[in-house]
Amino acid sequence: MEVALFWVLAVAALAGGALVFRVASMARATFALLAALICVGGELVLLGLPYLGVVVVLMMVMEMVIMVVFMVAYMMNPGGLMPMSMLHNKRGALVISAGVFLALAAGILLVPWPAPAVVLPADTTFQLGESLMGGQMLTMMTLGFVLLSTMVGATALVSRRGRYDRYGDDLDRRPADDPAGGGVGR
Amino acid sequence: MSDAAPWWSVLAAPALLVALALLAVAADGVLSARAAGRPFALSAVARPLLEVPRLLVAQPRRLPAPDMPLWRIGVVTVPVAAVLSVMVVPFGPFAVSGLSVGLVWFNAMEVLTWAGLWLAGWGPNAAFSLVGGYRYLAQGLAYELPLMFALMTPGIGAQSLRVGDIAAAQGGLWFAVWMPVAFAVHLWSVLAFGFTGPFAYPAGGDIAGGVFGETSGPERLLLSAGRWLWLAAGSAMAVPLFLGGGAGPWLPGWAWSLVKTVAVLALLVWARGRLPMIRADRYMEVAWVVLLPLSVLQALVPALVVL
Amino acid sequence: MDLTAALLRAAAARPHVLVASMPGGTPVRLALERELRLRDLPVALTPADADILLVAGPACPELEAAVERLWQDMPAPRRRAHAEDPREVGRAVANARAGLARRESAESAGAHERAGGEAPRGRHSGGGGHGGGGDDMDSPAGLPMAGQGPDRDGLTLDRLHVSLGPFLPDWPHGLTVRLTLQGDVVQRAEVAAPPAGGGPAAASFWTQPWARATAGERVQAGEAARRRAAAHLDSLGRFLAVAGWPAAATSARRLRDDLLGGASRESVSPRAARLARRVGGSRTLYWLTRGLGPLSAREAAAAGVAGPAARADGDVPARYRLWLTTVREDVDRLEERDPLDPARHEPPRGPLPTPRTPSEALSPPRTPPAELPAPRTPSAALPAPAAPSVALAAVLPRLLEGAELAAARLIVASLDPDPDETAALTVGTAHE
Repeated sequence: MEVALFWVLAVAALAGGALVFRVASMARATFALLAALICVGGELVLLGLPYLGVVVVLMMVMEMVIMVVFMVAYMMNPGGLMPMSMLHNKRGALVISAGVFLALAAGILLVPWPAPAVVLPADTTFQLGESLMGGQMLTMMTLGFVLLSTMVGATALVSRRGRYDRYGDDLDRRPADDPAGGGVGR
Repeated sequence: MSDAAPWWSVLAAPALLVALALLAVAADGVLSARAAGRPFALSAVARPLLEVPRLLVAQPRRLPAPDMPLWRIGVVTVPVAAVLSVMVVPFGPFAVSGLSVGLVWFNAMEVLTWAGLWLAGWGPNAAFSLVGGYRYLAQGLAYELPLMFALMTPGIGAQSLRVGDIAAAQGGLWFAVWMPVAFAVHLWSVLAFGFTGPFAYPAGGDIAGGVFGETSGPERLLLSAGRWLWLAAGSAMAVPLFLGGGAGPWLPGWAWSLVKTVAVLALLVWARGRLPMIRADRYMEVAWVVLLPLSVLQALVPALVVL
Repeated sequence: MDLTAALLRAAAARPHVLVASMPGGTPVRLALERELRLRDLPVALTPADADILLVAGPACPELEAAVERLWQDMPAPRRRAHAEDPREVGRAVANARAGLARRESAESAGAHERAGGEAPRGRHSGGGGHGGGGDDMDSPAGLPMAGQGPDRDGLTLDRLHVSLGPFLPDWPHGLTVRLTLQGDVVQRAEVAAPPAGGGPAAASFWTQPWARATAGERVQAGEAARRRAAAHLDSLGRFLAVAGWPAAATSARRLRDDLLGGASRESVSPRAARLARRVGGSRTLYWLTRGLGPLSAREAAAAGVAGPAARADGDVPARYRLWLTTVREDVDRLEERDPLDPARHEPPRGPLPTPRTPSEALSPPRTPPAELPAPRTPSAALPAPAAPSVALAAVLPRLLEGAELAAARLIVASLDPDPDETAALTVGTAHE
């Protein structure tokens, strides 16, 4: 039963991934990718990692739905009403993807796998938390801060309107001069 | 605490959720009959349900270049996600699934409405529908993070992500008492992910119904059902998270769960009409500058008390 | 085994009604809204949700095409009806419902749908299905594609042409504002020439007492106060519905209907006070609308706007709060028997243009010849003095540009030009 489900999800995930490059509409491409990622989340649940699986679904839905906004905003022909192709630089892409696939496949075959545990742990979520927040605490914290500061920094760099535009040269204009007022009235 | 439920609970849970949603529709019918000054009649309870035959006989319309597959997927996703979300909610001692990460499951299903409503707005290829779909994303970005912290807070208090464990952990004191901010944010967000009342922004009258604008027939039925099902599902989830689940004197556990769920649902149905529609351009700043820090502080309280 | 018949009957028990109000149709629309409210027949927001299309008021040839588009967009089973007179409303609704319950309504309408479906649909332009129609060129897919342009925030985004009106829920029917949207931000707004009244153009329903007083008739001040309070409550009903507060909108409309039905001061006054407290005192509504559509008294005067919109001297909340104050004052004056002095108590939307002869107030100063397709150019507008609603519509483009779609709807609703006034005068407006 579980093996069958595993294969169904695996094939569906691959099919979704392939579909991303077959459809003309940006909305369809994005949601084909989402379907593939949801299948991956299902695989994780099957592997006994329910927390990771459900979180993958949760995060990927939010991410893809935000991504579709940008796909529609920046691509010409987002609705797919006129034919277009998502394939560019076909030869180079083929070489790179084949190389990556071979390297990953070699990794799977060559890496020594740990011996399967005799008794399965009761709660993999707890284990996951311990391994992330125990030995790897420093790594996770550093990564978290780097990610956050990257996001804040990138937003600050691309923003066309700084605080001097909003609050005036002496930063004393209240409320700020914004094209659309916010809810807190700053 | 949560026993393995019998197989038929897989059917009973959706049926119960639909019954709760119908109850909410009926209550709303009575409230709006009173507001409109119609003399009170028992028919006010049942009249809103005439929508079902009305939408079932409606024939499909033809639209210029719609994206039918995505539209259908979106419309179906909303009610289906609502039904799936309650699979982890214990009803008295029973839950359809005692999933160990029930809290995250509920959150993931709720986030599926983001995709569902955006698709429902995108599908018909009409400007107002599309604006409605985008409006839900803006609203989602505003309500989601405070809601995530509000859901996490009882989880921290009970040191478990299993909804049954969270309900059982409130033996002495309901979480609603010492996590009032999280409770309020959760109730407030139920209106938001049910896109109703003050959060009807994606379906606003100013854009002629937004995501509902071009839907007719069974599609409209599914989408409006999703709205009420989410309201019911959110109320049902509030009970094990904040109101002690099925705990209570005299009555059996399932009866207490039902009573508390109906009480929360009634509160939400009443609250729907109390406020004008809150636009995301105003709400975003409040959510991020006021509600999010408050929810983080609230999550800190059980973290300090328990750990 | 007649499940279909049973379902059709059940569907006809609570059909949703799409209302299309014609110029000069205000009394019919008011009767209709009251009828629908009391019989619990929901108002449809779009053709997709409608079972009955009800045209209220004298037939208007210029809006024929827009009404036809609404009808084409409705799913079967469907019925359409026309009420020209407030007294016909009950019968029109009843007939349409009876028709819906019959099996042919599904079948015959289906045939109609097929016939309509073959017409080119490129003009639909997706503007909520509401009689829109962009001016873009058609593309291979039969649909207009969006062009690009710089937006408010310095990005280059697609431009979408969407028409608000002539028919939209809680919108002054007949008014058409052509928007150029980027995202949901209005880059450009243009007010289209209003349709001429189809019927015998008299003064707008809301200004009748003043028109009669100017014509030399004796009109009691109380009657005018009643009409003005009802007019503001009608505007408030629309505004609150656009603001997404249906419960408060229903209260305002009930009060309006009771006032027009002749309710006494004692019965209405406490309810008006309660509405003013609930809506005027709502911090949430104020927080949601503050800063939108600011129109200072000076700018208003320069644009020819007099009346409450100018006196409010501020943003959207200033305007709806002034309406509420006026309603409360007027409700207290319902029993005044003195003759109406138009100089002291102005009509709901500001002083009417002064006609040269009394009879001119009741008949349109310039009626376009019926056989010509409405030659309304800006120059045709000049001889007739502008009605207050013409000036209100004229300030719209400036206030709407840069606003978001929701804010744009709120701004229009807070100014609420009365298309009947413009139609009665058949004055053309043009902008830019």
